[in-house]
Amino acid sequence: MLTDGGFWIVQILNSLQLSMLLFLLSVGLTVIFGLLNFVNLAHGSLYMLGAMIGYSIATATGSVWLSFFGAPVAVMIIGAVLYKLLIERMRTAGPMNQVLVTFGLIFVLMDIARYIWGTDQLGVTGNIPFYGTIEVFGQFYPSYRLFIIAVGLITYAVLYVLLERTRLGSEVRAGVDDGETASCMGINVEATFFGVFLLGCALAGLAGAIALPAFSATPDMGVGILVPTLVVVVVGGLGSLKGAIVGSLLIGTTLTFGTALIPNFAGIIMYALLVAVLLLKPEGLYPVRA
Amino acid sequence: MMTSERLRQLITFVTFAALVGYWSTTGYFGYELIAEIAVFAILAMSLDLVAGYTGLVSLGHGALFGFGAYMFGLFTVKLGIAPATGMAAAIVATTICALLVAMVVVRVHGIFFIMITLAIGEMGYEFFFKYRYLGGDDGLVGLPRLDLSGIGVNLSDPSVFALAMIVVTLCVFLVLAYLLRTPYGRVLTGIHENPQRMRALGFPIRAYRISAFALSGAIAGLAGTLTAQHTQFITPQLLHWTTSGEVLVMIILGGLGSLVGPIIGAAIVTLLRHELSSYTDYWGFWLGVFLIIVVVSRKDGIVGWLDYLRQLVAERRRPETAEEA
Repeated sequence: MLTDGGFWIVQILNSLQLSMLLFLLSVGLTVIFGLLNFVNLAHGSLYMLGAMIGYSIATATGSVWLSFFGAPVAVMIIGAVLYKLLIERMRTAGPMNQVLVTFGLIFVLMDIARYIWGTDQLGVTGNIPFYGTIEVFGQFYPSYRLFIIAVGLITYAVLYVLLERTRLGSEVRAGVDDGETASCMGINVEATFFGVFLLGCALAGLAGAIALPAFSATPDMGVGILVPTLVVVVVGGLGSLKGAIVGSLLIGTTLTFGTALIPNFAGIIMYALLVAVLLLKPEGLYPVRA
Repeated sequence: MMTSERLRQLITFVTFAALVGYWSTTGYFGYELIAEIAVFAILAMSLDLVAGYTGLVSLGHGALFGFGAYMFGLFTVKLGIAPATGMAAAIVATTICALLVAMVVVRVHGIFFIMITLAIGEMGYEFFFKYRYLGGDDGLVGLPRLDLSGIGVNLSDPSVFALAMIVVTLCVFLVLAYLLRTPYGRVLTGIHENPQRMRALGFPIRAYRISAFALSGAIAGLAGTLTAQHTQFITPQLLHWTTSGEVLVMIILGGLGSLVGPIIGAAIVTLLRHELSSYTDYWGFWLGVFLIIVVVSRKDGIVGWLDYLRQLVAERRRPETAEEA
């Protein structure tokens, strides 16, 4: 198995694909963490809602492409409602209260999803873009999964330009670095925060929608993805785009190769990595605040 | 006028009286409920010691709880040790485990403390999920109960077991309530409120934090051995972070840092789970909504609400007495 080059190619592609899904989730979570100082355990539930809403759009219209645009917008609207109702007033309540409110939200959103979509596994079958397999270095690989990798990389590129090369990006970075000084300099930090939160929600919805054709959707899928996403955020460093992509690749690779090579210890290695980072470099690999 | 301290004593008395009253009127299903409430009440009090009094919000207490249960299973089912010895050994093992964990986790603070305890807890969950010798994801069956027939107590009778669980809960409550009144307990509260000042006063705060976490682990381990004896079947789910989250929910609903609040919270969550689930499939929705309302109201749960009522009543009375005078 290990001397077979094909095994390595497939596993590398698998780990890239998982990494990119983790990236789409963690990049939203990390800016919410870093910019708003807000611990959002319900971020995984937004991913679940993205998949569910994507399913409804795809089955109603017959177009999976449409779900890739409709689901992020719908999740963003849900995020806006949550922000105005709850998150805004929990901003200064301390990490424990934030953990509890968003833990409560996990229950609420999961049961709403069960009420609307039932508990069965949902999947889309017809009209999937990039259906079939493609040959990569002599290995046949589902082309849809390559599409997921591409979406992740494009999102990274867009966010990089947005954050590093635009006025909006410098305002966001100033807000993460020192919110008080930034608002003294005339930056509307509150509005920036709200915008960033919505973008994070939309990306979580997008992750859910593009994960749906490759996997299947259940109301509890958000709980399963949450912990690896939190690990990525903490390992990479709160609020850091570079940390989110490097952390995603690190955790995606660890989980994929761990599961393939030493199935009994893949999860344990991931948590051990987190503990090691917290003890040796508590601010994460790429800290935003020096 | 009633003081805050008096009110808590009254709440504690009413809580235990309600448990015993329920016990004396109920049947088999009620006994099972009481035992479950007692297990989670003990676990919630152990978490309250670190989260409510010492300010260490652990999201890994479910793992210590499950670890205690699995150690009890290892010693009794796999190694054939007598239940009483096995129970003591399991509690000691959990305490040592908690001590080692504490020495690592107290280095980080705030949200990072929550994350590191979650990660270490999940490591434990993954381990027992995969470890076939102790049943893996199938769980472990056939756990024995303590044999107290020597003193005329038959724990295999559900009614006796439920009463014994209420007694254990009361004992844990009394021990912790006493402990928190000692100078040691006062220092813990002081560390929660102002670590810098306590350090300046010369208290070795890291040693206090580590010892409180280890002590809390011992009680969580006790709760684990009790749930193992209650259901006589354990699964890795006990160690999962969502168990830790639920226990945190119990504390918040009842009242963080009040010791009796966690008991009330354990009773509410357990009753909601069983009662609501017979009316609706969506009990999680209502629990979630309830939780969000309690946290957003910022009144420290039910004990906090009652204390707020007491203050309102006291304020309304005050002008009257002034007039009379």
